[in-house]
Amino acid sequence: VLSEKDIEESLFELQMVLLESDVAYPVAEAITEHMKKELVGTHRKLRESADDVVTNALRHAIEEVLGEGFDLVSYVRTHDRPVKILFTGVNGTGKTTSVAKIAHYLQSQGLSVVVGAGDTFRAGAIEQIRVHCDRLGIKLIAHQEGADPSAVLYDTVEYAKAHKTDVVLADSAGRFHNRVNLMNQLEKIKRVMKPDLVFYVDEAVAGNDAVIRAEEFEKTVSTDGVILTKVDMDPKGGAAISIAYTIGKPLVFLGVGQGYDDMKPFTPSLIIDEIFGDD
Amino acid sequence: MGLDTLSNSLKDAMKKLAGKTVIDRAAVDELVRDLQRALLSSDVNVKLVMELSKQIKARSLDEDLPKGINAREHVLRIVYQELVNLVGKEAEFSLKPQKILMAGLQGSGKTTTTGKLCRYFQRKGLKVGAIGADNFRPGAYAQLETLCKKINVPSYGDPKEKDAVKIVKDGLAALKDVDVIIVDTAGRHALEDDLIDEITQVNAYLNPDHRWLVIDAALGQAARDQAKRFHEAIGIDGVIVTKMDGTAKGGGAMSAVAETQSGIVFIGNGETIDDLERFDPNGFISRLLGM
Ligand SMILES: Nc1nc2c(ncn2[C@@H]2O[C@H](COP(=O)(O)OP(=O)(O)OP(=O)(O)O)[C@@H](O)[C@H]2O)c(=O)[nH]1
Ligand SMILES: Nc1nc2c(ncn2[C@@H]2O[C@H](COP(=O)(O)OP(=O)(O)OP(=O)(O)O)[C@@H](O)[C@H]2O)c(=O)[nH]1
Ligand SMILES: [K+]
Ligand SMILES: [Mg+2]
Ligand SMILES: [Mg+2]
Repeated sequence: VLSEKDIEESLFELQMVLLESDVAYPVAEAITEHMKKELVGTHRKLRESADDVVTNALRHAIEEVLGEGFDLVSYVRTHDRPVKILFTGVNGTGKTTSVAKIAHYLQSQGLSVVVGAGDTFRAGAIEQIRVHCDRLGIKLIAHQEGADPSAVLYDTVEYAKAHKTDVVLADSAGRFHNRVNLMNQLEKIKRVMKPDLVFYVDEAVAGNDAVIRAEEFEKTVSTDGVILTKVDMDPKGGAAISIAYTIGKPLVFLGVGQGYDDMKPFTPSLIIDEIFGDD
Repeated sequence: MGLDTLSNSLKDAMKKLAGKTVIDRAAVDELVRDLQRALLSSDVNVKLVMELSKQIKARSLDEDLPKGINAREHVLRIVYQELVNLVGKEAEFSLKPQKILMAGLQGSGKTTTTGKLCRYFQRKGLKVGAIGADNFRPGAYAQLETLCKKINVPSYGDPKEKDAVKIVKDGLAALKDVDVIIVDTAGRHALEDDLIDEITQVNAYLNPDHRWLVIDAALGQAARDQAKRFHEAIGIDGVIVTKMDGTAKGGGAMSAVAETQSGIVFIGNGETIDDLERFDPNGFISRLLGM
């Protein structure tokens, strides 16, 4: 029978592993607490060390938190077109690049795509998405800098309806969850374009703040899926665990570089194998 | 456990030491545990936190209580000294003609901060200009040019040129009447050897007075290794922490400072061109501790 004392040290070490993988402190603590409750008093198998028991339990716990992912292509194929997807998140996480990569991915799956240049605020934002769309041969709907983002995205949806386009990908300006006016603007965008899916974009290298901002975005606009970018910078991607644990929404894609093909549909092993050092 | 509870428990632990005239080991242990929690929740590197707590524990128990202060003040002072030691003082620079190279991870805020720095030097009465040596990100030069035009500062860039060194060379020629030159570069990270090579070459050619690493306040544990690689490549002598107007605490930037033995130069606290502040160690540390 396992006592609290048997596993205390392994639990502490695992908590450190989680923290070093960038799992946020409260999430790492909650996961280890949960494991302690589950494990204390259970029987271990012959020749199984307390360490092994804890490691296996952690693996299961993380698998549960991460979930199975989300198959975007079959979602699109089984819903009314156009399927409208809004990309949100804080500044610089990789929204615009992810829009381009996903447009490319959907096109390669035989779906038609139109992109809306919904960031009318940041310097150079429209030029950035225009270059991406030109290179990929994707239709872009854009107004000029300073225009109302809701209007651009409304026009994008109208274009898709008129041209029987399968998917609308709506870029939006990066914004902080603690800026009320910017979050109100996002709610307005949502009311006007009525997205089928809201994808929340954050980066693998984000630390504890990942929890706070995911919670806030979830509260204000309610998200349907998560895209974790820059996994190539930090393959352990503990932020995936923090975010999934906090808002319980499926991970859809992992961004693994700056090329158009550097976008992988999420599967749990992509993260788990890195954390546990498997090959 | 939320951050509010965390900082409250840190305050509670401090209270337990209040009024005492001898340091009690259990109270110090408790305080150090709470301190660890606060720092880890602010993204200070795990190893750094462990080193720091060892040091604080040892000093609190070994050093004699100075006359006239109580145990709480004594320990608090040690905590503060150790943290100030780590974050260092504000990194210095002068208002002379100079060249500054900006470096950092993708999306950290280099281009925006380049614009803000132009504004800063312009306000100090210097002739300033920017070179956009980001030859990779679509719209990178349009972004920098837009920022510079708003404040009537000259900039140079060439979206068609793939060679970053060539852009810098042509930029220096185009901006030869300018006193302060800020060079924006493409985002890159520690595992991208070819891009690290590229910035090494840009640095060798430019021979800048300063090489500043731009760090997002939300950057987590990766900060330490990332900073190490940039430091090995070009010798970082200052860190700029961006996006401090959000809820992130900047512990990653602290780890980067420790790794590069540099200091924080500026804090970015908003998206507009005037949202730049000089670094204030006290405010920064209080925020790290959640107090
Ligand atoms: N290494 C790496 N870089 C990425 C990835 N995704 C995006 N980036 C880079 O991160 C930087 C920021 O990406 P953007 O797509 O502009 O981010 P954004 O969220 O749209 O930024 P704002 O609109 O300013 O809020 C760019 O340099 C991208 O090339 C990724 O998966 N890996
Ligand atoms: N709120 C806030 N946003 C900031 C701050 N600094 C930069 N940003 C935003 O962060 C995002 C990324 O900034 P950029 O300046 O494009 O970052 P970069 O490092 O040049 O990105 P790459 O060139 O792609 O590597 C943009 O949306 C900026 O507006 C800041 O201090 N506060
Ligand atoms: K970022
Ligand atoms: Mg964008
Ligand atoms: Mg840039």
